[in-house]
Amino acid sequence: MNNKAASSKQTPAVRQQPQATTTTSQNRTPQPMIQNMARVTDPKHVPKEIRDQFLKKIHFCSQPYDFNDDTKNVKEKQERSQYLQELFDLLKEPNFVVNLVVPHLDLIIEMIEKNIFRPLPILKKTATNGEIGMEDDDQLIDPAWTHLQPVYEYFLQLIVNEQPDVKSLKIFITHSFIQEFLELFDSEEPREREYLKNILHRLYAKLVPRRKMIRKAINDCFYTLIHETYKFNGAAELLDILASIISGFAVPLREEHVIFFKTVIIPLHKVQTCQFYHEQLLRCSMLFLSKDPTLATFLVEGLLRYWPFANSAKEVMFLNELLEVLEVCEISKLEPLIPKLFKRLIKCIAGPHLQVADRAMCFFENDYFLTILKSYKPFTFPLLVPVIAQIADTHWHKVLQESLNALKTILKEIDYQAFDKALNNKDPKYLYIIQDAKNQKKDRQKIEEKWKNLTKQAIQKNPNFKEPIVPYSDTHIVGEHNGLNNGNITIL
Amino acid sequence: MSENPFEVLKEDMENEEVYLKVNAMHRVKVVATLLGSDKIKSQLIPYFETLLKKEDDEVLFALAEELGNIAQIIPNQSICLLTLLEQLAGFDETVVREQAVRSITIVCGFLADNEIANTIVPMIIRLASNDSNFTCRVSAVSLMCPLYARAGNQKEKIRQKFTELCSEETPMVRRAVATKIGEIAQFMDKIHVIQDLIPVLKQLCQDEQDQVRLLCMESLMNIAKILNSGENKTNILPLIIQSAEDKSWRVRLALSKIFADLAEAVGKEIADSSLIQIFSNLLKDTECDVRVIAVKSLARFIKFVSPEKLNLIVPLLQLLSKDPFSQVKQNACEVIGQIATLLPKEYSQSKLQQQLIDLMADDNQDVRRNAAKSAGQFAAAIGPEALNQFVPFLKKCMDDPKWRVRKETMQTIIQLALTVKNPDVFNKQLESVFVMFLKDRAAEVRSMGLSQLPALIAAYKQEWAVGNFLSKCVETLSKDVGSLYRINALYAIQQISFAVDGPVAQDRLWPIVQKCLKDTVPNIRFVSIRVAKSLSKKIDNQQTLNQIKQAINELIDDPDRDVKFYAQEALQN
Repeated sequence: MNNKAASSKQTPAVRQQPQATTTTSQNRTPQPMIQNMARVTDPKHVPKEIRDQFLKKIHFCSQPYDFNDDTKNVKEKQERSQYLQELFDLLKEPNFVVNLVVPHLDLIIEMIEKNIFRPLPILKKTATNGEIGMEDDDQLIDPAWTHLQPVYEYFLQLIVNEQPDVKSLKIFITHSFIQEFLELFDSEEPREREYLKNILHRLYAKLVPRRKMIRKAINDCFYTLIHETYKFNGAAELLDILASIISGFAVPLREEHVIFFKTVIIPLHKVQTCQFYHEQLLRCSMLFLSKDPTLATFLVEGLLRYWPFANSAKEVMFLNELLEVLEVCEISKLEPLIPKLFKRLIKCIAGPHLQVADRAMCFFENDYFLTILKSYKPFTFPLLVPVIAQIADTHWHKVLQESLNALKTILKEIDYQAFDKALNNKDPKYLYIIQDAKNQKKDRQKIEEKWKNLTKQAIQKNPNFKEPIVPYSDTHIVGEHNGLNNGNITIL
Repeated sequence: MSENPFEVLKEDMENEEVYLKVNAMHRVKVVATLLGSDKIKSQLIPYFETLLKKEDDEVLFALAEELGNIAQIIPNQSICLLTLLEQLAGFDETVVREQAVRSITIVCGFLADNEIANTIVPMIIRLASNDSNFTCRVSAVSLMCPLYARAGNQKEKIRQKFTELCSEETPMVRRAVATKIGEIAQFMDKIHVIQDLIPVLKQLCQDEQDQVRLLCMESLMNIAKILNSGENKTNILPLIIQSAEDKSWRVRLALSKIFADLAEAVGKEIADSSLIQIFSNLLKDTECDVRVIAVKSLARFIKFVSPEKLNLIVPLLQLLSKDPFSQVKQNACEVIGQIATLLPKEYSQSKLQQQLIDLMADDNQDVRRNAAKSAGQFAAAIGPEALNQFVPFLKKCMDDPKWRVRKETMQTIIQLALTVKNPDVFNKQLESVFVMFLKDRAAEVRSMGLSQLPALIAAYKQEWAVGNFLSKCVETLSKDVGSLYRINALYAIQQISFAVDGPVAQDRLWPIVQKCLKDTVPNIRFVSIRVAKSLSKKIDNQQTLNQIKQAINELIDDPDRDVKFYAQEALQN
């Protein structure tokens, strides 16, 4: 009782002059609240002054401070982290969680929201004076992070804690909460994203009634990435969460999930920043395929459709994925994709980038791939044999030349007759893939002539007819429409 | 010989390379012209239908564009293209659907008003109501703007759908309406803007996504333009106040960016009474990027407030000129120069001059550069009598280690000299700084001075050019400071020669050039040849002309190839 009286005297004094922190800290032992609480005999009935103290601390932690400037409000910031630690410690005591934390979840969530829901800063490189010659510092650190981390840790432990039940938590996890929460994933601070990932993951696991909503919000996030912004720092983390969500999907997949696969997972491959999350994306794709192998052909189609241009690192990734996905495909379903697939591989092998060529050559070491090759022999041999034979003779790199020769032997072993027939074909149809622009131009001559005639006729018919502008010319494959048509770029 | 155009197209589309198919698609215009409207309908359009499912996005993008071109070939029957375009407008790929929307707008240009109401409006509503594809709804939003004005009795339907979409859960759609709400307002009756759009605009300005709020800013300005002062005060001003206090600095940044235009849109009265205060807060924003952009807008903003209110801005400028972030200071320089032209002389002198002088000695070269630039404007505004207070600092700027600063200073000096047009002031104050270009070690600065020399000679006449300036050139020529400086001085003499009369050229200039023709450096010799040549055009005295000719003639056997060449060239004509 003595103790109770003492603290009841103290609380109003603190309230009246909240700046006078020194008076309180004198009396404070490392964990005063825990100690105070330990003396409470009946956990169902928390004394008012302890409750007040608790609320006061939550309120205090809800105050915004400028965390980017360490020189401001030093005292308050110190006190704030002290309080956060105390609040955190409280979570370890189930009794208090039930009687103190759960009844005040509204204030606690508000405190968390006020701290973490903030406009994301653009982390500046250290050089602020734009003088030339300053070195770039790669390490981007949010100066506010040390102050945010305890809040995130608290939030995480709150969700992990078993006491706050689904019903009471559910009320706060609304659509707009999730949307704002997801926006934070764009943070440049990797530790923040790690926390966000863990928290969202637990929320998803715990709040079954909110799952659909969370999935939809994640979808919107990805739509924005695909259609509007093309960059989102947290894509890898979100895909990590998705991977575990996907592994929980029941078989057969619901239509909603199939649509997700087709409108999000596949188009995510085309985003320019795909490299940053490709590993996670690949995992998600493979999980989907393990649930429903028939989706594999759609993915192969998508990969071939969104094949990277002028980005060899991404091309290597695509090749890795393609081989993995092909192994899941049913061979008979692949038929419509076979021409595109093999032409793409030939382009990779004949291309100027050694790593890409090397990766593409690996396909021929894969037994399943060779089975595909064999199954479509009437198409693949006339395509592969003349081209491979030609690059095997002319390739600039010795090691690759050796493996090309080995490939020639493999093809010969598969079907000697077909190989010979294809090799001796006087007019190989697909040699154009590795030919230079001049030869291609010759091939096009006939049809270009036809177009010229037709254009003349059109001008005759309508004197005002303006000749169409054709965006791609034979020496300049980058077209007019992508803003690169400045004459500086010549490809082929 | 006569080809079937449709078959040629199909043949070319069989090609396996995407870029060739795109090319073929762009030639559809030829095919359509030759086929005529009946065959377009019976052959071409069904063929395009088959392409939709199998072709790459690049080809479909070309198709979307070409459909707009076909519409121009068959304007009266272009309505038949709409089914295809509607499908393209719902495609996943952004560029395809945006192009489809553009082509639909072209088609609509050929339609009668009743066709718009009966065909297009239902199509828009259909797209806007497609719940499974947000892409359709986004396209519908872009279509509503250009077509609202022609929707006739269906306007209400569109308005209703538009406001409905403003409350969408999908953020992509909300972002689309936030961008377009200002545009569609331009086509609406004012009463509908106030009754229907303002409430949703308010809602969008409070959206949970800062991206949406950010996009509202431009729309806010566009709507402010069509409202009158009173309506702006009740409807727009609260939103401006709210956005200026937005918790997201991105929104505040977007607001700062358009603030000058916003001030123009709401009119002087509101700008004077309310906006200055709001803007002051943005200028003091905690986020430096916001301040950078705000100061940038300030230069234009000050034109839209009345002069007597400007003194509220001055203390802010004093603050901004000491900002820790150099880009802020850089932009502040510009404003100081501008505002000096609007403020009373004594006031800007007492409040801002010292700031500007400090900025001229800033650590950051860009700040110094902009300060030097603004110093000219500032000095011109307060009048030539105060020039002496600036000249020492401009002189210091000419010693700056960075040539960009020196170049800007040189320009400033020249501008000042050309504005004051007072020989006294020029001789006493500016000339000594100007002639520093002759000795500058950066070619950019030297050629900057040289290029403006004719203008200065025109302003200060032969008396100055021959009386004062020439001796500086001679000084440079006589000191062996390096051939590039001497070449520069020679070119300066050439410039003088254009402005003087024959006797002066003969008596004063020729002896100098004559000496240079014998210089040890070949480059100086051939430059001298060129200068001598232009002197000879001025001089009438046959004797001197012969002298010149002879001097050049001596160089015809010069060991240097280039000298030889120029000597030959000079003698030929």
